[in-house]
Amino acid sequence: MYGNWGKFLRVNLSTGEVKVEEYEEELAKKWLGSRGLAIYFLLKEMDPKVDPLGPENKLILTPGPLSGTSAPTGGRYNVVTKSPATGFITMANSGGYFGAELKFAGWDGIIVEGKAEKPVYIYIKDEHVEIRDASHLWGKVVSETEEAIRKEIGSKKVRIALIGPAGENLVKFAAIMNDGHRAAGRAGVGAVMGSKNLKAIAVEGSKRVPIADKQKFMLTVREKINKLKNDPVAGGGLPNYGTAVLVNIINENGLYPTRNFQTGVFEHAYEQSGEAMAKKYLIRNQPCYACPIGCGRVNKLPTVGVTEGPEYESTWAFGANLGINDLASIIEANHQCDEFGLDTISTGGTLATAMELYEKGYLTDEELGDAPPFRWGNTEVLHYYIEKIAYRKDFGDKLAEGGYRLAESYGHPEYSMSVKKLELPAYDPRGAEGHGLGYATNNRGGCHIKNYMISPEILGYPYKMDPHDISDDKVKMLIIFQDLSALIDAAGLCLFTTFGLGADDYRDMLNAALGWDFTTEDYLKIGERIWNAERLFNLKAGLVPERDDTLPKRFLEEPMPEGPNKGHVVRLKEMLPRYYKLRGWTEDGRIPKEKAEELGIAEFL
Amino acid sequence: MLRVHFKVVYVLVKLFATLIEFTGKRKLEISGPKTVRELLDELERTFPGFKKELEKGHIILVNGKNIEHLQGLDTPLKDDDTVSIFPPAGGG
Repeated sequence: MYGNWGKFLRVNLSTGEVKVEEYEEELAKKWLGSRGLAIYFLLKEMDPKVDPLGPENKLILTPGPLSGTSAPTGGRYNVVTKSPATGFITMANSGGYFGAELKFAGWDGIIVEGKAEKPVYIYIKDEHVEIRDASHLWGKVVSETEEAIRKEIGSKKVRIALIGPAGENLVKFAAIMNDGHRAAGRAGVGAVMGSKNLKAIAVEGSKRVPIADKQKFMLTVREKINKLKNDPVAGGGLPNYGTAVLVNIINENGLYPTRNFQTGVFEHAYEQSGEAMAKKYLIRNQPCYACPIGCGRVNKLPTVGVTEGPEYESTWAFGANLGINDLASIIEANHQCDEFGLDTISTGGTLATAMELYEKGYLTDEELGDAPPFRWGNTEVLHYYIEKIAYRKDFGDKLAEGGYRLAESYGHPEYSMSVKKLELPAYDPRGAEGHGLGYATNNRGGCHIKNYMISPEILGYPYKMDPHDISDDKVKMLIIFQDLSALIDAAGLCLFTTFGLGADDYRDMLNAALGWDFTTEDYLKIGERIWNAERLFNLKAGLVPERDDTLPKRFLEEPMPEGPNKGHVVRLKEMLPRYYKLRGWTEDGRIPKEKAEELGIAEFL
Repeated sequence: MLRVHFKVVYVLVKLFATLIEFTGKRKLEISGPKTVRELLDELERTFPGFKKELEKGHIILVNGKNIEHLQGLDTPLKDDDTVSIFPPAGGG
């Protein structure tokens, strides 16, 4: 087998048993790897109805066949598990170097089962696997934990994926961090790790990923790298300004969510844009493994010193979404989240919900006591409550449940801007309706990255589509984006490569590395299979399409109050039935037997 | 007294990313252009090489609406319109 090793490491923390799970190439031909193989294992081995924070939930960390190779951006890994935030599947994706290192150690992934009696960490050096005591590390923030483990192992080369206090305290939106500031962020994967008493996974590897046709692979990789370097986004906008180059674009287009999505235009956008950040705080770029793009930001502040980030989403989450106009505070808040191991989108989204509840008078000063009031623009909220959330202290305990549960506890879930209880990212769907359909149908809930319709609707990639067109063409494009994103995740690459590469480019690299002669359609079929399998998991976990495939009422009923999208809502009801139909699903959003058979997943029905 | 009225269109132009570095300006007011095409011609006159900066791609908005869904470069401009010009960009 090439690309993949054909081996997963299975660690049961309840029994301490460590096993090697081998699989045949036929399985890779069906699921490719990473996000694909992970959903296969979960459907095969686990009841989707399990308690996400119980020992029976499985946590899978898995790089793809191109991770650890020279393919551009081949350093990604996915964390796939049942989410405690949504109760559905989640596949959080991260860059950095950990994913590649796991491949160097000879593993396509780790399946973590059960729950350790006391805090532990897993140390992997090629075939050597140890479960070590982590009692002394419990309670430590991310940077301190990394440093302590590195010292203990006595190697600078070791790569570590870990949780901070937020994961230990089962915050519903805790992240798994790696390489300092990279995060498998979304939907509470860090809480699942914490529920298993697993503080960290440290890996060192010495192998080279086997490639089928080395010469062909080298040539095709070189060609793709050139494409990316010559692309004005991947080779220009992203390295120059980072992902926050989007702040002004999204704001000028009138869909930059402001004050918990009450409007789509923020008056101080420029001051917190990638342009402003580059001018004021940027000291250098920080690329992930094998990345020719290098969008990561290394910023320096007098308060926190040298730190990484924030990305576009985090900039917004602590800025416009809270009405905050202070870039330094935003960068500090991002740094705090990285140290505690918190997802920035959900942290900001939850605080925004609290602010609107406060504005509307449901959350009062009386309840908060001496704690900072949730007033729009109050930077004190960031520093004070982020720490409270991570340790579940005082009001932080309520916030740690996420925005939906918070708003629901006041009898007003409509103030949570979330889908399937996952807080939405930085695009108001009233300004990009196809993106709105993406939110509503995304397998992990309120997420942008698995169906980034902002590309065609706003940025013009692969070509420009009208953000208010809701024809079948739009729905079909969304389906292609969902399937292609699943494929790229399964390959172990970064979704930002789509700014310079097309579906045929992924085919070229995969065929050369794996020794297959698949067509582009074959690969997209794998993406479609993954998407459907995840949907199937969700349906079995209790997803009710008519209740769950939807958007917050605000986007369906309250027209955008100002700006270029003034008067628009999302016409979800007009799009959703056509989405189901074009997916080959039943009218009520279920997967029929014929479709499952066509995709080879009928055994899981 | 004889009064002559000239109808002059004033447009607010907002520039972003590398275009700020290229022109040294974030915002400027331009008088005269009746279409986006005429505006770009004027910007080219003021900042020679400006159009070349947009060759690899661009996003041009008139009052927040992409000209691709208006009348492209022939999109008419009127007084007090805001035109936002971006080089190609992406993220997420």
